Amino acid sequence: MSIRLGTGDLARYPFLNEAGEYLRQSGFGWEELDRPDMADIIQRAAERIEAGVSGKVYEKLDRYETEILTFLVTLIMVKSIGMEPVLKKYALAEARRAEKFLTEDLRRQNDAQRQALLSKIFGDLFGLAIDTTEDGRLFKVKVTDYLARSSHFHEQEWKMINRLVSNGNVYLGPDETVRLVRNELAVMINGRVHAMSLPALPKAIKERSDTLRAELAPRYEYRAHSVTEYPPCVKHAIEVMNRGENLPHSARLMLATYMLAIDKPVDEIVEMFKNAPDFNERITRYQVEHLAGSKGSRTKYSVPSCDKLRTENLCFATKDCDSIINPIQFGRRRK
Amino acid sequence: MIKSEAVKAAFREYYFKQKLVEAPDNMDQREFGYSLFGIPGMVRHLSFKNPGELTAALVREVPSDVYCSNALYRFPTLPMQEKQWQGADLIFDIDGKDLHLPCVPSHSYPVCSNCGQASPPVEKEYACPACGNKKAEYVSIPCGKCIDGSKKEAARLVEFLTGDLGIAKENIHVFFSGNNGFHFHISDGSYRPLDSQARSDLVGYLAGVGLIAESIGVRRSPGSDLAFVKFPKSGLDYGWRKRIAEELDISASSTIRLTNIVKEKGGYSAFKAELDRITRQLGVRIDPQVTTDVHRVFRMPGTLNSKSGLAKFRCSLDRLDSFDPFVDACVLGSTKVQVRMKTHAKVKLKGQTFSISKEEAELPAFAAVYFICKGLAEAA
Ligand code: SF4
Ligand SMILES: [Zn+2]
Ligand SMILES: [Zn+2]
Repeated sequence: MSIRLGTGDLARYPFLNEAGEYLRQSGFGWEELDRPDMADIIQRAAERIEAGVSGKVYEKLDRYETEILTFLVTLIMVKSIGMEPVLKKYALAEARRAEKFLTEDLRRQNDAQRQALLSKIFGDLFGLAIDTTEDGRLFKVKVTDYLARSSHFHEQEWKMINRLVSNGNVYLGPDETVRLVRNELAVMINGRVHAMSLPALPKAIKERSDTLRAELAPRYEYRAHSVTEYPPCVKHAIEVMNRGENLPHSARLMLATYMLAIDKPVDEIVEMFKNAPDFNERITRYQVEHLAGSKGSRTKYSVPSCDKLRTENLCFATKDCDSIINPIQFGRRRK
Repeated sequence: MIKSEAVKAAFREYYFKQKLVEAPDNMDQREFGYSLFGIPGMVRHLSFKNPGELTAALVREVPSDVYCSNALYRFPTLPMQEKQWQGADLIFDIDGKDLHLPCVPSHSYPVCSNCGQASPPVEKEYACPACGNKKAEYVSIPCGKCIDGSKKEAARLVEFLTGDLGIAKENIHVFFSGNNGFHFHISDGSYRPLDSQARSDLVGYLAGVGLIAESIGVRRSPGSDLAFVKFPKSGLDYGWRKRIAEELDISASSTIRLTNIVKEKGGYSAFKAELDRITRQLGVRIDPQVTTDVHRVFRMPGTLNSKSGLAKFRCSLDRLDSFDPFVDACVLGSTKVQVRMKTHAKVKLKGQTFSISKEEAELPAFAAVYFICKGLAEAA
């Protein structure tokens, strides 16, 4: 079935590629955001970000086109604010907003058009094929798709033995189906922002982003400060890496775990390795995610201790390393 | 660890003519490993580019046991942290000794842990006939009942895999383990990416561990051990819910019978305990470690098992019933081998019964090797 997405759909699911396509076709240009009548959109975008950062969900859905545009503007603003914790919280809030709409839509069992839209969303965004039962009350997902996600939930009811399972499918209610992908939604929005390259910003957006950054920065001061100066061992590893020289496995491990520990996003960590002679983006990403505890292993790896690094000849201590036992403490003591 | 030229010679002859060894798919991405006669431990992190290379190695080295990873790696020969795991086939291990069948003592040969003296199975308390020591290792020569027990588990596993999990029969490969059980290799690619956590959940499903009473509609009344029944919206028609419904003879059309059962059992907790017992009984006894470890090496199909000299042998799913490991998987030659028995022992191989009470005997290689591998004889 071909799917026609209305503006209402795009306003609820503005992260679909069709939303950007829609704006392009309507002949919209970024410079229009400097027009006085666009102030409303920028205002909404700022609200949407602030709501997200305070752990709330932005509820507005009164004017479809406005909200499509608002979403795209928030992405640009969050990118331009450039603070990882802001992005994280914002992405989570967008995920929760979408979760609400998805659940509502899944509950509308008898609307074929709706069902087609949802299959598309689940398929396009999460690579998850969902199907409905004949009576339309339940959703079917493949056992392997289910296990890959549910096994990271802790509640007993998510153990597969407590599900209706038949012929390779697990049967779920609407809320459960959405719950299965909720985390991926936030990850996807996060990735979207990271992958984005900023256009030359209209003045109105730039100003608003700057104000927001100034407002939000104090909340994250400590973090922002603590990552400006890397410990000597880490600095050294980065230098070797940037020269395109081969870095031993143990040094890569240190670099990646350190960067994860200071909450550097996976994408940026992967970036750091791109000068390595044997760089392969997919594999590096897999490994970093593994260390972060999101792929393959459940344990999050910690940064090796200074003692360990010393025995591996990776320590390049300076007097600032005074009395620390793990690189992660560097620059966080006293002062 | 076996150290015997006679056994090695029989293995060599087998690998020289080998027709059963099955090289895995994606061979260049697998890690291989083997043990050698007389040398403890295992050589791991090996790689073979094609079946020819593997054959050559088997004939050259004549390993006592041959293993291959179910995982695929980008660099199979590097140390584990650097291999770059790309996925792993789903595997299962059913081991007869985990079934704890009542027949086992009648065919377990005690080997004294003090002096190494072997003796025939004893029904009563054991004491070494040579030194009087009361501790022993037991060597089991599985009987027909043991094999039938494993077959039953295997058949049940097949039922779970094809029914609940919808895995196509042609993707389920069943092998006799070469000693006392069955190995399953699943070639359905959609299982390959699953991590060990996901596999562990799957094992729970198959083994019948973790079913909560709420799944079949038994809920605890707040603040007490009383229960009430409210069936789940999704019904009781499939999978575990169906198994339990059949076992308890209940249906989703009426809550009365289930309510009574819970009452009879004595409340929510007592019912929960009963449910646990039922699910474990209806589940399949598989070794959870084997399935959840995604970095292991697993005995290779068609190779010999040095615990018995039998082969890890492919069984047809439809004819599992008539499969006889002591005939079908007994693949060594019949060259005569002189052995010295450590005790009176008995086994039936290729339809012939070997019940050896003499100290020395001349046996066909397949029988001699079996007793030597079991540790009940040595080459004379
Ligand atoms: S003392 Fe610790 S932090 Fe400083 S360089 Fe050595 S390993 Fe790094
Ligand atoms: Zn003894
Ligand atoms: Zn037995």
